[in-house]
Order: sequence, then structure tokens, then C-alpha cells
Amino acid sequence: MKEKHTLAEIEAYLRKAARAAGLDWGLAEEAGKAARWLAAFDLPGAEITLAHLQQLDGNDHRLYLPTHLDETWRAQSEHLCPIITGAALADRSGQMLNGREFRLGQIAYPILLVATIGQAARYHRTTFTTSWAGVRVSCYENGIRIEGNRDNLLLASAEFASCAQTQGSIPQQLPSTLACDIDPDAWAAIDILAFKTYAPATEESRAGAGAGLTDND
Amino acid sequence: MNTISRPQDALDSAQLAAYRRPPEVVMRLARMGSFHQTRLSFMRSLLRRLKKERWQFKRTLWEIGDDGFGRAVYTVIGPEHSYSLVAFSHELADHKRSDRVIATAWDATFTLFDGVPTSDDLDRLQDNVPKQEAGRVSDSELCLSRANRSVRLWKHVIECLAAGHQPDRALLESVGYLVRTTAVYGSGKFGAADRLTICERPELSGPFQAEMLSVWLTRAFSIDLVEHIAKAIGGAKAVVIEPNLRRRIGVGNATGLGMAPFLINHPVLLNNWIAAREEALARVRSLAGASSEAIDTFKQRLDQAKFNVSQWHSEHPIQLRKLQQLDSDLEKMTVYVETESLAEKHPWDRFYHWAEDKLSLEGQEQLLSLMLEPYGEMVDTLTQCMGADEHRSFFIDGAMNIGRMLEVIENQCDWAISVDYQKKENRARFWYISAEKLEPRVGERFDEAGAEYEQPLCIGYFVRQLYDDLLGCDGDQTIAEFLLARPQHRHTVRRVQTLVSHPYSEIRDNLIAADMLPIDLLRCKLSFFGATKFDPRSDRWVRICMYQDAPFPHELLSAVE
Repeated sequence: MKEKHTLAEIEAYLRKAARAAGLDWGLAEEAGKAARWLAAFDLPGAEITLAHLQQLDGNDHRLYLPTHLDETWRAQSEHLCPIITGAALADRSGQMLNGREFRLGQIAYPILLVATIGQAARYHRTTFTTSWAGVRVSCYENGIRIEGNRDNLLLASAEFASCAQTQGSIPQQLPSTLACDIDPDAWAAIDILAFKTYAPATEESRAGAGAGLTDND
Repeated sequence: MNTISRPQDALDSAQLAAYRRPPEVVMRLARMGSFHQTRLSFMRSLLRRLKKERWQFKRTLWEIGDDGFGRAVYTVIGPEHSYSLVAFSHELADHKRSDRVIATAWDATFTLFDGVPTSDDLDRLQDNVPKQEAGRVSDSELCLSRANRSVRLWKHVIECLAAGHQPDRALLESVGYLVRTTAVYGSGKFGAADRLTICERPELSGPFQAEMLSVWLTRAFSIDLVEHIAKAIGGAKAVVIEPNLRRRIGVGNATGLGMAPFLINHPVLLNNWIAAREEALARVRSLAGASSEAIDTFKQRLDQAKFNVSQWHSEHPIQLRKLQQLDSDLEKMTVYVETESLAEKHPWDRFYHWAEDKLSLEGQEQLLSLMLEPYGEMVDTLTQCMGADEHRSFFIDGAMNIGRMLEVIENQCDWAISVDYQKKENRARFWYISAEKLEPRVGERFDEAGAEYEQPLCIGYFVRQLYDDLLGCDGDQTIAEFLLARPQHRHTVRRVQTLVSHPYSEIRDNLIAADMLPIDLLRCKLSFFGATKFDPRSDRWVRICMYQDAPFPHELLSAVE
């Protein structure tokens, strides 16, 4: 049986889990926001983010950074990290307003890229479309539109993806949920990762909090 | 800040600039730790709205035994939505009564339900709400909270009422509440509704309005409960609390480090709270004259403030010193009002300048609160600007170049880059989350284990590290390029860029210094709630009073603010 978790919980837990998987705080924030953004559209944002963090955990993140930024972006390792790459694309999203199309080589969980691009679309109040393996996801200021081969929407890895500004069209799917059903095993794994950001108790930490005075007054 | 209507005699924004206090003055911990409640505080804005919209109140369920244990429901009905406080009263052994977050049982537990609960809802809530963090609520619930009795006052009030006479006024006023809340959770915590559920509803769109509503109804419940128990004991002899005395009963709150990081983690919200408060002060200071009604209101509130100080007790040496200063500052203000004419030109600006010179920070901030009191029509609408769209500020402007970024840091972050972090005292502390209680804590970096778990709250230190790295780069390089090579600065770049359009978004002090006082953060936030009687129990733990003297639900429509 699935458990309900709120968007606020998804964002907070995935942010911590991403930090525990070794991402810097600013990127961990992007991971939390991405999970939340997808979950709001009833997509498995928490589960997909977890799956990607499990790929990263313990590995050197420099291997997943985009290189060759003037042509098709590529990682030194087998695939680009969609959180790091998505953040780099969002930082350059102004270039898409000027007509640039970004082309990316092998990338893990391209749907996570969409989450970051979607937030940039909202900021610029425009439409950015990300495509891979026959699926196209257009992000509007407040909604999304998924076209093409939906079977590849949650693909663990795509050989090629592209991202550019497009003309808006309707109908769109609007954010539809504020709480999501999540598989308890996936949530337990997220919880375990998030927990790694907490400091084990020491005598000092126990003594340091609270008033040290009676509360029976 | 959003555009809002302003009275015709007020100045435009550019003219007001001369009266606005800059962030270097306002955003210091010592000053923020001296804030008092104002007209803009969230409890007061909530009650103003409820009164204006003529909300209705009903106690819809009372299943409380003679022993005082059981459940009750209070429903408030507004123009479009209803909300219900569902209260559970429990038996609690004295040794289990703790205000700390480590507690697992309480005298009473509560949830604010979105609408009117069915009996199935109540049964579900009965299984979960008493467990608090260990239970699970749903998106039909907006808040989850608990409270403990003030043992000394609780017993006294029941004994007196049961015996047919009123409780001792001095004792009642010195405590100020029958129950003390120890946590009020909202916004998606433990399964409760996400903030997006309510943020479009006018009555709950402002910050913490659901939480403030929950606490206000908790206060009504606490009175009903003592009167019910007294009646069960005293029978026909028992009396209820006389209305004037009842008004003196608020709700207590005990809070610790759990609340402290909020202001740091919500920079845009912090900016908007402070900017609204500063805008209100600037508008009043800019006035060319004061009417006799305004002067009378001010004097009346000044007398009230003096009375409040006489009722404000603390054993903590820091607060004792501050209270002495405040007491003496209020005397100086009284002399000023008697000897300097407030009927002359620019009375409030002159008064404020005098205060900057003559009063402590406690007194200056008290004066700010008092100066807003006569001008509800001019300042109350500023509460509409105190929410925040935090999503927009999450976006990083990657096209900004490093030269511009350096300029921002040099102009706005002297408080961060002028500190020598090689000195141990300047990074003596670290903020972390305790695995044992999942709550924020402050550790001693050089004496305790765990600094590797540091939370990103040492903003000044981060800005300095960012600045040092930027200095080594080409000024024409973009932030997008810089961040790809140095992702560790992403969090800080976001904050510094936010500062450009939100000058009050950062606390301009070192949050990991050896002498940093977490209670200053708590006081700032709680003053925005509308709390009074700040009583620090340590440098990281404070008790307060909420809603003392405020009307009760059945009194609201006829109440004078």
C-alpha cells in the first residue's frame, strides 16, 4: 500500500537526500525542487530523484558534469547528471530566449532535466521544450504538455536530448496534486539517505538544547 | 514590494526613502532581538479580518468528562470557508510534562481541520493527533499542535472557581496563560495540507494565519476546560471567570532552536516582513503633523506599554538588563511627550531621531510599535505585502558577470566580508540537525564532534568564501560559467542575487560567532507573530505569551482593538 506525502515533505526530504548523496547545498536544493515540481504534475518525482541519487551516491560528481559546452554537452563518465546539467541549463536559459538550442549527449533520467527547465520557463514566462527518445515535454509558465512516445518519459538514460524555446500551444496539463502516493520502500530509502545529514547525538547536544529548567510550573 | 493603496496625504516612495531605515541599521541581531509586536503582527491582522468579515463561532462538540479529559471541536465560519479546532485533552503525569521537542505526551493536543469534521474524521484524528510527530494527519488538516498546562495557575484557577470566587489577579497576570503550546506545525508537516492548499484563500494567504487561528481557538478551549472542571467539582457553587480577568489570560508558548533557522531559510519572506514594518515606520515619520486624536492614542498606548513592562517577568540576566533599559526608556518617552510638543511640525520624525540618540534598542523598537498605533488606516494594508513568492527568487541569473557580482557583495555584504574567519571566535559555532530529535541545534565547532553535518546557515562565512573565489576570476566571466566549475557556491550566489532586489533578506551579522544569541532570532520571529512577555529561559529557549488582552471569539464583533 502506498503512503501519502505532501509536496513540502517531498521537497525537504529530497533536498536532504541529495545532500547526503554528495551534492553541494545549492544543487541539493535544485534536486528537492525538481522532485516537488514533477510530483505536482502527478509524476513520480520523488522516486525518480531517488533513483538518480542512488546512481550518484559515493561517486565523484565531476564525472557527471557537462563538458564541451559549445557543442553537444557530454560527461566524462557514462552519462550527464540531470540535476547538475539542468541547473547549468537554467543558468543559461536566457540564451534559449535568443534562439539557442542546447544539445545533450547521454543523460540519466532526462525527466529530471524537464523539472529544472520547467522552473526556468515559469521564471521567463515562456515555453521551453525538452525532447528525447521520441518524447517531447513542453513546459509553460504554469503547466506542461507531454507528446510523443510516453513510454520513454521515465527512461533511466537517454542517448540524446535537446532543449529549446518553442511556441506555446494548448491544451496543457496543470499541476494537479499537493500530496502524492509514494511506495513505502522508496520513501524508506529516501528517509535513510536524508537521515545521513543529521548529526548523531552527543552528550553536549542533549545538554545544549532546552531551558534546563523545570516545565512543571 | 507590491503596490498597495496609500492615503492621499502620504508621500510617494521616492520621497519616503529619506525616512526609511537602511538594512545596515535594521538587520542586526541585537536590534532584531529587541523587536516588539506591532499593528502588522499576524495575530492582530487575523483578528482584524475576522471582525471585519463578521466570522461566526460555534463550539460544535464537547465530549469532556468531569475529570477534564476527552475531546471538543470549535468551528469558525467565514464568508467562504469554515475551519475547526479539534482538541483532545489527556491525563499526563507530572514527570512526563516537558516543553521540549523530545516530549512524547502532552496535556492537550490539537489540529486545525479544514472545514467541519465528520465523526469518522474525529476518530481518525483521535488515533493520530495525540501522537503528534509519531502520528500522521492528512491534507484535510492545516496545523498540528500541543500544549501543556501551567501547573501553578491551572490548579489555582480551578480551586478558586470551584469554591465560588475569582482567581488571584496578581498570580494570573504574572503567568498570563493557562496552557503553553510547545509546537504548532503547519504547511505540509506530518502529512498536513501543503501551503498551496490555502495560499489563495484571502483569510489564510498571509503568513502563519492558520497557525494563529489555531492558537486563538486553543485559548478559548483552555478557558472552557477550567470552567468545566471547576463546575464538576464545585457544582452549583462554582463560578465562571469574570470577563475582565478572563481577557488577561492568553496562551503561552515555549520555543527553542527549532524555530531559529526559519528566518535564514526564508530570505524573501524575511525581507517582506521587515520591509512592511520599515515602510510603516517611514510613513509615520514622514507625516508633517499629528492630530490631537493621534497624540491621544499614542499616549494611551504608551501607558499600556508601561503597564506591560510592569507585568513582564524574566529571570534571565540578559532579559533583566533589557527590561531595566526598557523601563527607563519608557519613562524617558513619557517625559519627552510631556515636554516636547507633538503638535509641532514633523513630530514623529523628530521623536524617532531623539530616540536613536537617547534610548536603548529595546526602547527604540518599542517606540516604533507605539508610533504605528494611531495610524491603522495608513499602515494596516501593508500586511498584504508580507507574503512571498519564494519560487521566483530561486532562479539564478546566470548571465550576470563576476564583476557585477563582486560589486553587489562589496556594496551589500560588508558585514560578511569584513570578518576574519581565521579567528576561532568568528566561527565558533555550527548549526546542525540532531539525528535524535530531527531538530536544529547549535554546536561548538572546536569542542564538539559533528561539524561535518553543518547546515548551510553560516551565510556570512559562505559569502566571504564566495568573494575570495570570485576575486581570482575574470570579471567578464558569467556566473553560469563560475557555478559549473564551483557548484559549492550555488546556494550563496542565489542568496546574494536575492539581496539585490530584497535588501532586508539577510541578517547582517555573523550567525556562527561565539557570542551569537539564538534567542534574538526567536524574538524577531515571535514579535511578527504578535507575541509579548519574552522570557528567555536560556540563550536558546524562550517562553512568550500570545493573545493576552485580545478578545475571545464571542467578544470579537464588539471588541475595540
